Amino acid sequence: MKKICMIASIVAASFHASGAMAEDALKIGLTGALTGPVAGTYAPAVEGLRLYVDALNAGGGINGAMVELILQDDGAEPSRAAANAKRFITQDNVVMMINASLSSTFAPSIAETSRAGVPLMFAASACPQEVFPPANANLFCTTAFGAKYDSHAALQFIEGQAGSDIKIGFQAMAIPLSRGEIDYAEGVAASMGMTPVAKEITPPPAPDYSPFASNISDAGAEWVWSWAPWGAQVKTFEALRRLGWSGSYVAYAHLEAESELARVHDETFYLVGANALFTENLPVMQTITAAAQAAGSSYAANQLTEGWIAGMVIEAALKAASDPGDAGSVRDAMSNLTVDLQGLRGGPLVWTETNHFRTTQSYRVYRWNAANNAIETVQDWTSFDVE
Amino acid sequence: MQFAVNILVLASIYALIASGYVLIYRVSRVLNLAHGELMMFGAYLLVTTAAGLSSSPVVAILLALAMSLMVGGLVYLFLMRRMTGEMALAAVLTTVALGILLRGLILMFWSASPQHPRDTLGWENPVLMLPGDARISLFAALLVASTILVYAGLFAFLRFSRWGMRMRAAGQNPLLAAQRGINLHAVFALAWALSTFTGAIAGMLIALDSGLDSTMVMIGLKAFPAALVGGLDSLLGALIGALIIAAAEVGVIKYVDPLLADVIPFAVLVVMLVIRPWGLFGTREELDRV
Amino acid sequence: MSKPLPNASGHFRRSHADEFRLIETGFSRTMLALFIIALVSFPFLFSSFYVDLAAQVFLASIGALSLMLLTGIAGQISLGHAGLIAAGAFTAGILFKEFALPFWVTIPAAALVGAGIGVLFGLPSLRLRGLYLAVSTLALHFIVVFLGGEYETRRGFSTGILIDPPVVFGYEVYSTRAWYFTLAVAAAVTLWICINLMRSRSGRAWKSIHANETVAEAIGIGVTRYKLLAFVVSSSMTAVAGALFAYYRGFVSIEAFSLYLTIQYVAMIIIGGMGSLLGALLGAVFVTLFPYIIEALVSVLPGADRLAGSVFAFNYAAFGIVMILFLVFEPQGLVGIWRRIRDYFVLWPFRFKAMGGRK
Repeated sequence: MKKICMIASIVAASFHASGAMAEDALKIGLTGALTGPVAGTYAPAVEGLRLYVDALNAGGGINGAMVELILQDDGAEPSRAAANAKRFITQDNVVMMINASLSSTFAPSIAETSRAGVPLMFAASACPQEVFPPANANLFCTTAFGAKYDSHAALQFIEGQAGSDIKIGFQAMAIPLSRGEIDYAEGVAASMGMTPVAKEITPPPAPDYSPFASNISDAGAEWVWSWAPWGAQVKTFEALRRLGWSGSYVAYAHLEAESELARVHDETFYLVGANALFTENLPVMQTITAAAQAAGSSYAANQLTEGWIAGMVIEAALKAASDPGDAGSVRDAMSNLTVDLQGLRGGPLVWTETNHFRTTQSYRVYRWNAANNAIETVQDWTSFDVE
Repeated sequence: MQFAVNILVLASIYALIASGYVLIYRVSRVLNLAHGELMMFGAYLLVTTAAGLSSSPVVAILLALAMSLMVGGLVYLFLMRRMTGEMALAAVLTTVALGILLRGLILMFWSASPQHPRDTLGWENPVLMLPGDARISLFAALLVASTILVYAGLFAFLRFSRWGMRMRAAGQNPLLAAQRGINLHAVFALAWALSTFTGAIAGMLIALDSGLDSTMVMIGLKAFPAALVGGLDSLLGALIGALIIAAAEVGVIKYVDPLLADVIPFAVLVVMLVIRPWGLFGTREELDRV
Repeated sequence: MSKPLPNASGHFRRSHADEFRLIETGFSRTMLALFIIALVSFPFLFSSFYVDLAAQVFLASIGALSLMLLTGIAGQISLGHAGLIAAGAFTAGILFKEFALPFWVTIPAAALVGAGIGVLFGLPSLRLRGLYLAVSTLALHFIVVFLGGEYETRRGFSTGILIDPPVVFGYEVYSTRAWYFTLAVAAAVTLWICINLMRSRSGRAWKSIHANETVAEAIGIGVTRYKLLAFVVSSSMTAVAGALFAYYRGFVSIEAFSLYLTIQYVAMIIIGGMGSLLGALLGAVFVTLFPYIIEALVSVLPGADRLAGSVFAFNYAAFGIVMILFLVFEPQGLVGIWRRIRDYFVLWPFRFKAMGGRK
């Protein structure tokens, strides 16, 4: 008992110490998978968001009020995500909560924030069904990739390149999200007249991807569409090439895309993505690069896009809110928001009353061009209306 | 033919990793659940030495290997030595704690981004053609070769060298071995060092072949059924066990359902535990000693 | 001896009935009453963040107690704990989602499923001991997780199954405070069952199997039966904990039941102190609160801001270090520390126990 009291008082004291620092700052809580095997997908995005908020505060914050970003690790565990959410809401009185973690943490985050009426924004984590029209009033998503639209974009691209009389293979990872999307894509491909010949679902880490790749190659697939975390996508592709497979491979352009395209340098390795790559060298990209260098970030600037976009959206939402210190007011502002993403995506991010994903989702297709020794845009922004 | 090559490569990966489990278990009866992390640590050491010594790749690799040999010895001297004589479960849990520590350190020093030491070293990974239209990448072939070399080396070491004999003696009967003047702590430290060394070879070759990120530790755990099916205290068993598990896994991926790839090693393990709990080549009386 | 000697000096058992009392002295009665008052007033004094933490501790206690019964008392090492929790959670989730069954059906159903799986987990124990048993339960863990994942994907619940808050006596258990009390009662009931099991025939049988199986068999204990019983009892309690977890978090997803969860529970019973129910409770408190304590301590360290990007990696590494320190320097666990403190007060002004006293 004594021990418990002691521990409780230590915890209480230190939480109070950390909580009392900035009383009038606008607080935003983020729960993310910052440690554990999946951290590679989320940690860089969180770093990008952190750098954006630092820059925002250095420039005077929101009408003079500082933005305090409270980061909490959940290690992709639902229980810790729930505890983090509870902490943000009851201790810190955040005006917005952000989830940058695995889908298993969604349900507790949603439950806690909905009850408290605090808007929940998904950044870098997969967009849940509830943000698509008709959207849940409380949930928002800035993440580039969007289930179903990604597959439509990829399959349309394949159709445009090779027609629909092709044999197509699929690759997913053995997590429900990825499998669900690939199952969906298989149906769409069949309805487009393509012949699905193989569907390989790889375990989260396979020591060797060759056995899976052999199946795709043996089935005679001419094209492959892969929608999974980066490692599974690229390792399956590399295994296919090692087997002498000469088809074309389309995968989703996750945040590793830019450095990996240059590493893989294969001309028929296509990446479909919603974020612009840094080869464009837009002013905003120079800003990100400078911020990353100044902070001595351990991640390449081109991996920070996702977090930077989330930062832009947060700034816009807080500026648009009539009372940025009130969660309800921030949520109302988010339900009717247009954010100019300065070229980081194919267009502005628009949220309406019923659509908290974005009204238009645009995709580009990239590949490596060996002749120029550079990344090449194979297909410029192609837009899909989100209804 | 490709089918056979796939089995061979996977079996080599499992065998190389499993040798680490066996070395430690055989000598000190400790199950090292941090083996996956130690193996990953070795691979990350290569990332660092490769960045520092990109002009002389071979030196970088040798340096990283020497460092992992040292890490293994240090882990025993500073940590596991204190756990000798404790409950088996406590020793196993200590290795789990060590694994957590290593994962944290790796994340702190190398971040969570995927690493590609082969590119840093400036090496290509060409595909070699084999008879029967089968293909294998250079580093996968090197992995198979290293597995053969490591096992041949270990067999020779345990059979003929003085320290190898001491290791066998300590494994058979620690009390008698100690009374004959064998320094048990030195033997155990050597086992840990060798185990980390072979694990690091596996980690580095996998990293050189297909890149490195924090999911590698789960591969370490997947090799564990191989060690058990063959018998936890038998090197030959680990080799055969790895072959069985790899054949089952690749076979299931090809003919049944790739989804079962993660389950099948453990299913084989369960079957083995029912028929012959001590494994194909394990010693039977080991059962009561844990 | 069915029960250790009382924990107070100057108190002696005078009748047979004294041997059966749970609470023996006035002092312990007072302490218990104070403890209960503290527990009841806790959620009204602290913010819901702390109440939620306490609720997590209660939930963890149930799992830790049942694992302690199996591993610490009966000596059967299991690494399938997360699989069992998953089985309980999925039983509740599936029954709720597919058949819309209420709380008071799904919880006993989870207990039944747990008991069934307990037999399955227990069967290898008839042939295997120690490490080999641990590995076979580990294999079963992977099989349960595989089945759960298949169910989720095949039925299209890819981000997990959502479960509505349970209704108990017409009252919806939803608020943190309500859950605090529900889980506190569940933990107390589990503790009560465990204490009584320990004092009964089966508890004594388990202890003797743990001490020496051959001797246990020789003195007429049905080793097979009691081993299976240990698995069945422990597994059904664990499955109930899983079902409660499902309701408490309002959803079930297979990703929540990784091997890391098993490791956490094993850490609870070892850090708490093997073979002691109090140890299981202390371990549950420690392991649940530990990440928060580390985080709080790190954040007050000078220069914590500079760590910013890697602070979580640092927390993670620190968790490993503290666990190692515990295992190396306090093999008796938290309960060992507790006993030393208590003995100090019980024996005061003397420093050492009389010969032949309790251990």
